[in-house]
Amino acid sequence: MNFTTLRDNSLKKDRIYLDFNATSPLATELSEQILGWLSAWGNPSSIHCDGRRPKTLMRDARNNLAKFLGVHPLEVIFTSGGSEANNTAIKGVFESFHKVSSDPKKKQRRQLIISAVEHPSVKGAAQWARERGFDVTVVPVDRSGQLDIEFYKKSLSEKTALVSMMYANNETGVIFPIKELAEMAHRHGALFHSDCVQTLGKTELNLRELNVDYASFSAHKFYGLKGSGLLYVKKRSAYSNLIQGGGQERGRRGGTENVLAHTAFGYMTKFQGLIPEAISNMEKLRDYFEEELIKRIERVSITGKSSQRLPNSSNVLIEGIDGESLLMNLDIEGFSVSTGAACSSGNPEPSPVLLAMGLSAKEAQSSMRIGLGWTTSQEEIDSFLSGLENVVSRLRKIQAESLRQGEVSL
Amino acid sequence: MSPRILKPSPVKSDGTKTRVLVAMSGGVDSSVAAALLVEEGYEVIGVTMQVWDYSQCEVDEGAGTCCSTTDVDDARDVADRLDIPFYVINCEAKFKEDVINPFVSAYLQGQTPLPCVNCNTYLKFDHLIRKMKELNCDYLATGHYAQIQEGPAGDPQIFTSEDSWKDQTYFLFTIQPELLNTIIFPVGDWTKPELRKYAEEKDLIVARKKDSTGICFVGNSGYDNFIESQVSPNDLPPKGPIKEYPTGKVLGEHKGIHHYTLGQRKRLGVFAENPLYVIKIDAAEATVWVGDQEHLYRSEMEIAKCHLLDQIAEGESLRVKIRFQHQGAKAQLYKKSDGSYSVRFDEPQRAITPGQAAVIYRDKQLLGGGWICP
Repeated sequence: MNFTTLRDNSLKKDRIYLDFNATSPLATELSEQILGWLSAWGNPSSIHCDGRRPKTLMRDARNNLAKFLGVHPLEVIFTSGGSEANNTAIKGVFESFHKVSSDPKKKQRRQLIISAVEHPSVKGAAQWARERGFDVTVVPVDRSGQLDIEFYKKSLSEKTALVSMMYANNETGVIFPIKELAEMAHRHGALFHSDCVQTLGKTELNLRELNVDYASFSAHKFYGLKGSGLLYVKKRSAYSNLIQGGGQERGRRGGTENVLAHTAFGYMTKFQGLIPEAISNMEKLRDYFEEELIKRIERVSITGKSSQRLPNSSNVLIEGIDGESLLMNLDIEGFSVSTGAACSSGNPEPSPVLLAMGLSAKEAQSSMRIGLGWTTSQEEIDSFLSGLENVVSRLRKIQAESLRQGEVSL
Repeated sequence: MSPRILKPSPVKSDGTKTRVLVAMSGGVDSSVAAALLVEEGYEVIGVTMQVWDYSQCEVDEGAGTCCSTTDVDDARDVADRLDIPFYVINCEAKFKEDVINPFVSAYLQGQTPLPCVNCNTYLKFDHLIRKMKELNCDYLATGHYAQIQEGPAGDPQIFTSEDSWKDQTYFLFTIQPELLNTIIFPVGDWTKPELRKYAEEKDLIVARKKDSTGICFVGNSGYDNFIESQVSPNDLPPKGPIKEYPTGKVLGEHKGIHHYTLGQRKRLGVFAENPLYVIKIDAAEATVWVGDQEHLYRSEMEIAKCHLLDQIAEGESLRVKIRFQHQGAKAQLYKKSDGSYSVRFDEPQRAITPGQAAVIYRDKQLLGGGWICP
C-alpha cells in the first residue's frame, strides 16, 4: 500500500483540492472495495443468512477502529457522523446526570465547560443543555488560539459534570493539550469529552493514553464516506441514548446501521502504517507553503502559527482582501479552499472561531483556511502559491484604484 | 433603420472568451439571461445576492418575490444545469443600509418609497460592478427588461424593452452612464412569453415560476406591519386626525401616517356619502387629508436628486412616468437654480406620489429621472 493507491481518481484533474478539513475525497482503494460490500445489503440485526455478512462487516469495522484508537470494541458506538457523536455525548451526560440519576452528588453537578472555538454541534448541544438548566462556561482562547488554562482551572469544581474540548480546531489546526485538560477535569470528578473529528490521519492518537471519557470521530474527514462516525464511550461512563430505537449498538443507538459507510470507515484503519509518513509529508508541504507565502505576498500572517497545530492546517490572513472574493477567484482558477467553516459557507459571516480568537470582523473576513491531505503534492502547492499570488495582486490593484477614486473601501 | 443593440462579442480579440458575471435571482428572467449568454459562447459566472434574512418575514418562498431562500436554490439549480460557477454573496448589511433603512424612513415621513431603484443603484450597479472587476469579468449582465443601443455619437444609451408591458427602465434611471459599456441586458429584446417558452425548452425549472410582484422583502403581512417590525414603537408616527380636504373638518382618527398611501381609498375607517381618497399626507402635522378624487389631480410637480443620462432641452416635450405602472404622460421640464426640476404635464395626473420616481423618456430612450418631492 502506498499513497498512489490512495490518490483518488474522482478528483477533477484540472482542480487542486486544499480543503481537507472540510472533507476528504474517497480513497481510491475504498471505492473499489465498496462495490464488493454493496452485496451485503442485509440487515445486520436479522438472524437469517442475509444478516450474517453485514453483521460480520460491522464487527470487523468496530474491532479495527477500536484497535486503531487503542480502546475496547464495546466502547465504540457508531453514529451518523461527528455532529451526532458530539450531541450524543453532551446530551447523554446531561440526561443521565440531570434526569435519570438519583444520586444527589451527581445531581449537584450541573455545569458544562466548553471552549470558545468548539464546532457548532458542540456549541449547539451546550446551548440545548443551558436551556434545560445546565450552567455553561465558555473558556476563552487567545489570539494564537490557545486555551486560557487559568480560566479553565478556576472554572472547574465539584459542580462540573462534563468538559467538552476539541482536540484540534477545524479552522486553524490549533491543538489543545487534551491529556492535561482531561486530567484536571478528572481531579474534580468531572467527565471529559473531546471532539476529535479533525485528528484522523493527521495525528497519531491513543485514546487510552489520552484518558478521555468520550471522543467523537467522523469517517469522511478520513477518506471515507459521509454518514458514518463514532463516539468512543469509556466503559462505565454515564450514557443516555440520543436516538431511541431497536437494539442496535447494544441498545445505545437506535436505527439500522449504515453498514457500507461504517465498513469503509473501518477499512481505513489498514492505512495506519502510512500515517507517520503522511504527517511528515503534509507538515513539510504546509511549512513550505507558509514560508513561500510570506516571502511572496506582502501583508500576510498565519493565524495560530506559534501554537502547536495539526500538520496539514494553515489559516492565512491576507490584509485588506475580502475573503469572499478571494475564494470565488481561486475557485474559478481551479483551487478549492475555504474561508470559515464549510457549514457556514454560502452565508459568509465572519468566522466565529477567528472572532473568538480576538481577530476583528474585518480580519476574519480577510482569512482563508487551507487543509492539506495525504495526496497533496509539491506541484499542487507551487501551483496554488502562484494562483494565490496573482489573485491577491489583482484584488489589491482593484482596491487601490477604487481608493484613488474615493470609493468606499472594503 | 432601428438602432443597433450594443452587445460585446463572446470572444475577445486575444481569442479568449469574454467573461460575464450574471446576477441571478432565481427567477425566470435572469435564468434565461444566463442561459442565453452560455449558449452564445460567453464564459459565464452566476451570482446571487443574499440581501435579506427571509426567516424574518412571512414570504411564501419562491412565490413571486425577488430573492428568498428557495430562490437562491433555484438560481443554483439553473447554474448547475448550465454548468457554470455559482456563488451567493452576502449583501445583507449593505442592503439594510442602502435599501431597507431609506425605505423605512420614507414611510415614516409619509412618503411611498421605491426601494428597487436603490437596490439597482447601490447593489446591482455598484456592489456587483465591484464584484465583476474582482472576479476578472469583462461584463455584468442582469435580467432587466431594457436595451442598450448605440446613440448617434456611438455612445451607449438605454432604451425600453421590446416587451413594453415588462419594461423595467423605470428602475434604471440612476445608472452611471459610463457603466453602460460594461453592462449587458440579455433579455431586453425578448418578450416574456418567448422567454418562458425558451426556459421550458431548456428545461430550466423556473420556467413556470410566477413573475415577481411587490417588494421582495416586505412579505405577505403588508407594508405597515413590515415598518412596525423595523421600528421601535416609540419611533412610530403617532395617531392623528383624518381631515376632509379642503374644509378641514375632522372625520376620524388615523393609526399613524405610515398606514396610508396617496390615492388610497380602502381601509380609511371613515364614513362618507361619496368615496373618499387620501389626498395628502402631512407628516409634520401628523394629519391625513382625505377628499374627493378630483383633488388627486395635479399638473405640476417638483423632482429632486435628478440624474440625467442625456441632454434635455428646456421646454422640450418629453414623456414622464410617475410610477412603474404609469404609461407616461407628456410634460416639459424646467431646471431650477438648486438643480431640481419643475415638471409641467400637458394633462393633470392622478396621485403624484412623493417618494416615487419620475422617469423621463424621449420616445423610447431613457433620459434619466428624479424623485418626486412632497
